[in-house]
Amino acid sequence: MDAPLLAIENLRTYFYSRARRALIRSVDGVSLHVAPGETLGIVGESGSGKSVTALSAAGLVSAAPGVIGGRIELRSRQARRNLLDGLERYVRVKERDGRIMAVEKDDRGWRRRAETLMKGVRGKEIAMIFQNPRSALNPYSTIGAQLVETIRLHTSVKGEGEARERAIQWLERVRIDSPRLRFDNFPFGMSGGMCQRAMIAMALSAEPSLLIADEPTTGLDATIQSRIVDLLAQLKIETGITTLLISHDISVIQRLADRIAVMYGGTVVETGRAAEVLAPQAQLRHPYTAALLASVPSAEAIRRKSYLQAIEGEVLDTIDVPRGCRFYGRCNRVTEAIRENCASLEPPLGEVAPGHKVRCWLYPASGKA
Amino acid sequence: MKFAAVRPVSRVLARELAVTALLLLGVSAVVFAILYLAPGDPLNVLLEGQSPRSELALGMREALGVPRTWYGQYAAWFGKMLQGNFGNSIRTGLPVLPELARVGVNTLYLTLGSLALTLLIAVPIAVHTAAHGDTAGNTAATIGAYILSAVPVFWFGYIVVYVFIHKFGMFPLISGTATKQAQAWLYFLVPIFVLGTASGTLSEVIRHLREELSRVLAEDYIRTARAKGAPVWRHAFKEGFLIPVTEIVSAKIPFLLGGAVIVEQVFNWPGMGRMAWQAAQDRDYPVIMGIALVAAAFVRFGNLLQRVVFTAVNPRASKE
Amino acid sequence: MRSYVQGPASVDESSQLPLWRRAETMDLVYVGYGLLVVALVLASYLLGALGWLPHDPQAMNVGLINAAPFTPGHLLGTDFLGRDLQARLILGIQAYFLPGLLAITISVVAGSVLGILAGYRGGWSDTIITYFDNLLDSFPRLVLILLVIASFKPDIYYVMVVVGITGMPVIANLIAGKIAFLRQTNFIEAAHALGLPAHTVILKHILWFNCRAALVIQATLGMAEAILVETSLSYLGFGVQEPTPSWGNMVQAGANYFLQGNFWPSTAPALAILATILGFQLLGDGLNNLLEGKRGK
Repeated sequence: MDAPLLAIENLRTYFYSRARRALIRSVDGVSLHVAPGETLGIVGESGSGKSVTALSAAGLVSAAPGVIGGRIELRSRQARRNLLDGLERYVRVKERDGRIMAVEKDDRGWRRRAETLMKGVRGKEIAMIFQNPRSALNPYSTIGAQLVETIRLHTSVKGEGEARERAIQWLERVRIDSPRLRFDNFPFGMSGGMCQRAMIAMALSAEPSLLIADEPTTGLDATIQSRIVDLLAQLKIETGITTLLISHDISVIQRLADRIAVMYGGTVVETGRAAEVLAPQAQLRHPYTAALLASVPSAEAIRRKSYLQAIEGEVLDTIDVPRGCRFYGRCNRVTEAIRENCASLEPPLGEVAPGHKVRCWLYPASGKA
Repeated sequence: MKFAAVRPVSRVLARELAVTALLLLGVSAVVFAILYLAPGDPLNVLLEGQSPRSELALGMREALGVPRTWYGQYAAWFGKMLQGNFGNSIRTGLPVLPELARVGVNTLYLTLGSLALTLLIAVPIAVHTAAHGDTAGNTAATIGAYILSAVPVFWFGYIVVYVFIHKFGMFPLISGTATKQAQAWLYFLVPIFVLGTASGTLSEVIRHLREELSRVLAEDYIRTARAKGAPVWRHAFKEGFLIPVTEIVSAKIPFLLGGAVIVEQVFNWPGMGRMAWQAAQDRDYPVIMGIALVAAAFVRFGNLLQRVVFTAVNPRASKE
Repeated sequence: MRSYVQGPASVDESSQLPLWRRAETMDLVYVGYGLLVVALVLASYLLGALGWLPHDPQAMNVGLINAAPFTPGHLLGTDFLGRDLQARLILGIQAYFLPGLLAITISVVAGSVLGILAGYRGGWSDTIITYFDNLLDSFPRLVLILLVIASFKPDIYYVMVVVGITGMPVIANLIAGKIAFLRQTNFIEAAHALGLPAHTVILKHILWFNCRAALVIQATLGMAEAILVETSLSYLGFGVQEPTPSWGNMVQAGANYFLQGNFWPSTAPALAILATILGFQLLGDGLNNLLEGKRGK
């Protein structure tokens, strides 16, 4: 495996709920690696912290206290740096008996520091596309103007006319019909799918090293969703861009991801090559992943006319994080032998096969990791 | 980022102009209704009839060219106004409109100056609070704005006058003839300062701009702008600054004109407000009627400007 | 450095926390101060109405004019005729209290009716009411009031009718906006589908359940407006006339002595105006933040 382009180590992003006087541990010790040219898919229910992980990596978390710990190492051709370098100087975490009592953060100081670290990275090295593309594009500006702005900001193309030509080329590459006409359109006159194509064009036009796609199909019609997935797959082949793909939709992940990380309750519970993690007959798998797969309709399940399995219980509330395994309350595979462990100790992320890690007490291999 | 290409703005503009005309017609109807309903038959004076309301008098008025019915009177009155004849002042006997034009300029200086001052104070506070959330300093600024907006303008005027007399040795500010150039300038600036700071305008401009700006800063497209490394202000400017500022300024024009009545009274400023006060004292309704119409025209004009800016900036406006 | 402290034991049901625990401190301060002002105004109004004043408000004492506060016998000092300022301040509330209530009643009742017509009926009534709103918004209120004064007579109740009418558009827009929002959530259609008659839907489900907080807030802000208008007019000499006290004419009367250094006789009523208007405004805004959650997230 190559040296990763993006390496996230033990990332912690917390929010504060004023109403409940409590910290929401949205991302709680996440480690991920994305190798150059690879697509890493993060999958999980809403509230699992997958989007917040992506936003943290791009330095776009705006609520307080936000990122409070970890490393985000970016190693691209142009930039090599830890995007959270020096964060510990701005944050103080007070713990007692392993329970976090308070977080202090010099928000403004860190923001200033983070902006300098992000200079030349955000938009240029790391580009992003979002869900609900119609609200993600500036409604007061034409599609063309927004593309031209990106091109002139981040590429060597600085001339107005040249940037315009480049923008139109990009609109063509994302298969927007009559790009010259669309160039002068405002987002409000365009369909959601069209807006997402423009959004993708805008992100790629900066020629970034890493593309973060945060739920790129959410908020689109079902037929449009598959078209956007097709487009992303095609662009992956054409450009070979490294991608961090976030989706709650396993079928999207299945189509596009080389490797997968399954998130639950702010942590990664399973990670490995896509084929391995999603293999229908796989035995070594986290109970949550199994449940997640059982809840998705597959061709085979439809043929057998079997019922879909809902996951019992509710998504973990990341305020009252249990002492033991985060999935313990909803898990249906707890055995008497390991129950005590599950209830009281958080399992480590252990390697069950080369490159395949699972955070579960069921797999003794995890104990050694 | 370029300003967007010209869109069918002219059609929207035509519509706004029509709405403005319709509203000005309504304004005249309201003024007419007040005069029509008022005791003492003020319309009679305006229409140059001489007698009180009675059957006999009505006949005589018709003979004098004063219509009998209310709509006839309205038409006659409206026709005269279109010719620029707002009647003559009861007190001075002079025609109202030229007098209004003469003092209206002074009121324009006063209101526009104080508007500029209000924006000068309000915009930095609003932008700062919207961008950084509520910190202690911002809370203090907010409370300060609240207090300033609740200070009675008339009393605040005396305080400022007192300070200028005793601290800067300026006298007499209220009645005197200022000899030195600097004194003339202060004589000019102090009322502007008072109207600009001690009216509800200040806190409302701050509040509106802050609310709108923080709403826009939380929009998805601002996050996109940050994600692509573009300056946030460039994307937030139109919806988060330009539109709310023009909105609130246009909405505050009537309040400034109303505040001018008091400030001009305190400082003996020879403007429309003081004229309105004098006219109300003397029950000189041709004058106060003219002032009401001119003031309403100002308000509608400000509103029209705001609509123009909004249409030019917002691509959706011309489609809706 | 800002700190985010974990509560003693994290609470599960956030919605069951009492309002005052979920609120921001500043909003509570606003509302607390506002309620204090309202209580003081109410108590003073009753004292004035019953004639239970600390002093005879008209008794002159030529030997003790423009006295400073805490002068023996006169807690808040005296005015230019040696009359007790405290008694006159309390009595001055009579000048705006009932007229202010009249103005609020007019704008709340008529504004609600217009708002319901515009929001519930929609179509032409909406267009006409929007036009009417814009029409009323065209006049500087003080100028309109002076026009009415010049045409009719300088009577505070006439003035407050104008204030009430010009206050209608805000409330009409608010109600119409609420109804538009409820329509978006299909609330109204659902109510009709349940077979509820229109008047039940309007009065109970729209006005009472969904608009009462907003109406109370607007009424509070309306009182601040009424006080501002009354004091301004009294200052200009069109309101309550001497020797009957109003805060506005007290400022005006004291102003003649202001530049000679006798601040107090006009500053005392001015501070009363300031504190009272501030109280009503902060109460309105604070309630708005608490009940309607205006301050973003």
